[in-house]
Amino acid sequence: MGDKEQNRKKNHAASRREVFQAVAVLGAGAFAAPYFIRRSGAQAADLGPYQSAKLNWRQAEGEKITVAVIPASYFENLITITPEFQALTGVEVRYEKVPPGQIRQKAMLDLTSKTATYATSATDPMYYPLYVSNKWVEPLDKYLNDPALTDTSWFKYEDILKAWRDADSVEGKPYAIPYDGEVTVQVYRRDLYETKNLTSADTFEDFVRNAAAVHDPNNRVWGAALRAFAGAGQNMYIYPSIFRSFGGQWIVNGKIKVNSAEAEQALTWYVDTLTKYAPPAVRNWNWPDIADAFAQGTLGAYIDAHSSAAVLNNPEKSKVVGQIGFARWPKGPGNKRVTSIWNWGFPINASLSEKAKRATWLFIIWAASQETQARTSWKFSGPTKRSGVNRLSTWHSPEFTNAMKSSGENFVEAALQSLEQDTDVDWRPRVPQWPAIGDTMATAIQSALVGQKKPKGALDEAQARLDQIMRG
Amino acid sequence: MANRTAAIAAGERAFALSLFLPAFLVLVLITTFPLVYLVWTSLNRIDLAMPWNSGFAGAENYARMFDDPRFWHALELTLIYTSVTVILQVLIGLGLALLVSRIPVGQGLLRVAVIVPIVLAPVVVGLFWRTLVLAPDFGIVDFVTRALGFGSHNWLGDPQLALISVIAIHTWQWTPFVFLVLLASLAALPIEIFEAARLDRASAWQRFWHITLPLIRPAIVIVIIMRMMIALSAFAAIFAATGGGPGTATEILNLYVYRTSFDALNFGYGAALGVVLLVITLGVSFILFRLRRSR
Repeated sequence: MGDKEQNRKKNHAASRREVFQAVAVLGAGAFAAPYFIRRSGAQAADLGPYQSAKLNWRQAEGEKITVAVIPASYFENLITITPEFQALTGVEVRYEKVPPGQIRQKAMLDLTSKTATYATSATDPMYYPLYVSNKWVEPLDKYLNDPALTDTSWFKYEDILKAWRDADSVEGKPYAIPYDGEVTVQVYRRDLYETKNLTSADTFEDFVRNAAAVHDPNNRVWGAALRAFAGAGQNMYIYPSIFRSFGGQWIVNGKIKVNSAEAEQALTWYVDTLTKYAPPAVRNWNWPDIADAFAQGTLGAYIDAHSSAAVLNNPEKSKVVGQIGFARWPKGPGNKRVTSIWNWGFPINASLSEKAKRATWLFIIWAASQETQARTSWKFSGPTKRSGVNRLSTWHSPEFTNAMKSSGENFVEAALQSLEQDTDVDWRPRVPQWPAIGDTMATAIQSALVGQKKPKGALDEAQARLDQIMRG
Repeated sequence: MANRTAAIAAGERAFALSLFLPAFLVLVLITTFPLVYLVWTSLNRIDLAMPWNSGFAGAENYARMFDDPRFWHALELTLIYTSVTVILQVLIGLGLALLVSRIPVGQGLLRVAVIVPIVLAPVVVGLFWRTLVLAPDFGIVDFVTRALGFGSHNWLGDPQLALISVIAIHTWQWTPFVFLVLLASLAALPIEIFEAARLDRASAWQRFWHITLPLIRPAIVIVIIMRMMIALSAFAAIFAATGGGPGTATEILNLYVYRTSFDALNFGYGAALGVVLLVITLGVSFILFRLRRSR
């Protein structure tokens, strides 16, 4: 309500300003002409990289769209440069910031009731199968293949990281375009490791051995930590990587299977590692807590999103700046490294009008384009340069590497190798029932982590429950 | 003559109806309709995760509960949670009321002070306990137990402690309500009977057991009924403090309804669970009201 009010006021102010501008232009007349010509030239250069696309950017002029995002620096950067999009297309964009814990529910409320409040919203890739089976979002192949809507040689869809494109597709069809994403990598304290003559872990055994070597709780240093708080996006974000690294399969003979021998080994490894080498409070920790603990110098290593590096390198909060090393996930007994394929993508709400859909599509390709990715990363004028850029060419560019070099040793290399080699589209079970599966598994994993149940018992119970859920 | 009376009566009935109708319609719209819709939903297969299965299901959602261990676990927790919180509230509330009713001055101040927990929104209470009272290392409770040498505990992270903690939270918030009601009914007791009893040399215990308790019994029963209905439908404080966790350690029926409907997106089954909770609440209240009337 307050938001709307403010917006309306802003709009009034804007239109008043426009009137003044128009009057000023008329009044100034010929005297100011050279200035205006120069100015419009500068603006054209600014939008040049977009206008080089063979595409009518102004085809949805006058449309207003609302975009739901989470309050995070990678979206803040996008919001900051959105006036450029409005100048380019004449489409007005309003952002609504929704906390990450609520954005799925809010988006789903909008989608089920078909109110078309959000033209698009930053979406969890695990939800596309659900959205698609309810026909809540548009298939995007027709937008990508329509020359009136996409200049393929300019947009270069194939340049977007394959793992993220796959994560945002269902049965080969794209339903969202990734904007920002992350890989999970190993983060370790170089100074601690050097004094003990350790190198980053190559296997799960190494990881445990390293943790044991630096583990010294009496001096407030714990060996390692992993996200352990209950939740589909918390413990069920780390466990799938472990499970897949142990060779586990989510779907066996068309049925979900969570209590296989590999699952039991994986969960046992997770529970044992945390019980022996993590701070006791880790069971309530999500990634910010882990990054904070690491920044305070109380952790030897952790495995989490590469974007958590931003916290570690903030000199005001971190005591370990300059001591941070990065490496890929260790290899599991199944001889695999499995990183997260998490990304925030933008789908198109299927209940929009045709014109609003076009406006939304223009917004999406603008946000996901090479130029905007650069302008929100190394070209961004603010202090935080995005590290979750969506394109292979961007990851390979020297400008990006240069902007990221203060993050720590091996940062870009470890992340890029993970993106190219360690991604796995079946990281988590990609089915419409994911919300129930994620919730059930999170509950089961937590009961094992807090010692309420043995791993086998917890998984058997989850299996029984999932059998019941999948039966419908 | 008779006709005229009948006509007047009919006219009055029509007038009465026209006065009654708007309120009735609003009531139907905001209470009866959602209730009927809930029951209708519970008879259908509505699972957003499996939209291809949607359709009329009859009693299927209800039958499903019989082999759903999580439902039985939630039901058991609900009964434990409700009975323990209500017993604690009545015992502590009655004890406090008896104590305070003897205080000649300053009762007014006490009454105002105890209202504070009641007027807090339960979700605020849950968050307040989670972050300030029960947090390991920082919380008040943890500070006290460490000072007394009982060590630091993960009050909301350990399955048993978490259940005890949410019971403590609810008891803390609602005991003052019991206290206030019982204090008021104690104050209204006729002083003569107690004087007579004292003259007959009844001991303090005898006076309490044979006079005070029977006299305030109606108040106690009403308080128990109200507290039970609220405890059975408790949600916000637990949701904010533990979210039903760790695991399912504090997942009472109401939280299971929520998780089924809005996390797992199975609205049909969630509605059926909601209807069961409603029937239990109505049943318990009905029995208690009957008990109250029978004597």
